[in-house]
Amino acid sequence: MGEESQPQSASPFISMFEGFRKELDEHHDRRERIIKASRDITAASKKIIFSLQRVRKVGEKLPGFVLKTNTQYWEIIENQYKAISTDLQGLNAYRYGRNITGGNQEFMEALSFQHYLETQQLISFEESEKRIASMSGEAGPVMLSPEDYILGIFDMVGELMRFSITSIATNGKLPAGTSESQDRPSKKAKTEESGDQMEIDEQLPPQTPTQHRPRDVLSDLRELRLQLEMFEPPQGSNFSRDVDKKMDVMKQCVEKVETALYGLIVRGSERPKGWVPDMGDSRKGAEIESY
Amino acid sequence: MASHNGMVNPAIFEDLQTRVDEDTAVRDQLRDIIQNLEKQNRNVMFVLARAHSTPVSDLPNVLKSAEESIQKEVETIGKLSEAASKLPYYKFNNMWSRQIQDAAVAILFWAWLGGYQQDASGPKAGRLLTIEEVGAIMKIPVNLKDRDDFHLTLEEYLQALISLVEELARLARNAVTLGDYERPVLINQFIKDLHAGFQILNLKNDSLRRRSDGIKYRVKDVEDVVYDLSLRNLIPKKG
Repeated sequence: MGEESQPQSASPFISMFEGFRKELDEHHDRRERIIKASRDITAASKKIIFSLQRVRKVGEKLPGFVLKTNTQYWEIIENQYKAISTDLQGLNAYRYGRNITGGNQEFMEALSFQHYLETQQLISFEESEKRIASMSGEAGPVMLSPEDYILGIFDMVGELMRFSITSIATNGKLPAGTSESQDRPSKKAKTEESGDQMEIDEQLPPQTPTQHRPRDVLSDLRELRLQLEMFEPPQGSNFSRDVDKKMDVMKQCVEKVETALYGLIVRGSERPKGWVPDMGDSRKGAEIESY
Repeated sequence: MASHNGMVNPAIFEDLQTRVDEDTAVRDQLRDIIQNLEKQNRNVMFVLARAHSTPVSDLPNVLKSAEESIQKEVETIGKLSEAASKLPYYKFNNMWSRQIQDAAVAILFWAWLGGYQQDASGPKAGRLLTIEEVGAIMKIPVNLKDRDDFHLTLEEYLQALISLVEELARLARNAVTLGDYERPVLINQFIKDLHAGFQILNLKNDSLRRRSDGIKYRVKDVEDVVYDLSLRNLIPKKG
């Protein structure tokens, strides 16, 4: 279109606008490529998270079937990052930052969740950046912004919640670390150690309170919550709005695990097989969606 | 991951906080310059608004005074450019995009009125500055692709063109009030030509699209003015 002959005298500006059209088309095409890649990365990351929810242990190598299932999704993600890395170089890294952030955040969620399951540690920003860079094409690394990282971590809390609840429902206990990183390998991790906000102290007399006891997921969740609450985004920014929204959800997630654990302690012995903790909210079933 | 016992290495969040705080500091710095630019914009438009009530014969004074205001504005743009060129352009450009657009509108309008080309016979109206010419007046590069520096973007220029059309549609009516029956004819042709240009762009559903949709109404407004004049045989014969 556009080449139609102008009635009367053709506009003297047409050739100039033809140049503009070409540039705008390039811009829109690039934008659409990035948005599409971002969606594909999001979808693949969700699938990775879905199969990671079948893991029952923390701080150990992932079971083979999970690794095997997820290989294909990591490949999809890698291919997408490779395909768009040319589009996200130099000036364009920030120009299209808003178009890739969805994919980056979901990727962060998957990456940090897997990293947690394997090591019981929070993956660092630098490591995450490196991970994306290693998947980017020859044009150069795709940028991961601190915003992408933080917002992804917020969402990861939701996954840890689901992971904990599933474990409570199926194994009757919170997953806790067993890895050498925590000094003492102990398969029989007792449920709770901090007990500061819980009423379990009376029932579980502190048994040799030593820092060698493996951390469980709840204490990790609390630690993460503290860090996220301490974080101060710039006032009035879009980022700050996003953080505010996710902050509430994140707190609820931690509290759900606390509530579930409370239920477990109080009614634990009466727990029939297949019992699901009463979450007291409407999202029934969400926590066991991995089945 | 050396010396921490918990899940989170506190250094992770300390480092991120530092990065975010640095951005905030940068924004605070830029904000002063941008506010200054906004004030100067208002000054330029205040001067140029007199074009709507000044006969062409007296216009050179308006244009001269506008040029002085524009020069001051260009100095501020220089400061902004210097500060912002150290930063990733698109990380912060939404802070000043509006103000740069407004500055471009003023320059375009000033040039259209004849400020850009004046000879012995006085200012010659009807000149459209290209994006490169606007950039040259602002003393900044335009439409950069290959390096991350401060510049005037194509979108900003196009937005400014739409504002120019709006300003000229208003001028067409006001020229008639001043007894100038030639100017509406000139404006009519000029914004039709611009409209034709915008029509060949494939615009997506963004603010450029929404605003450019309004051009056709401005075209019609000016056509109505020309129609009124021609109906009454008020349009001067050419040549």
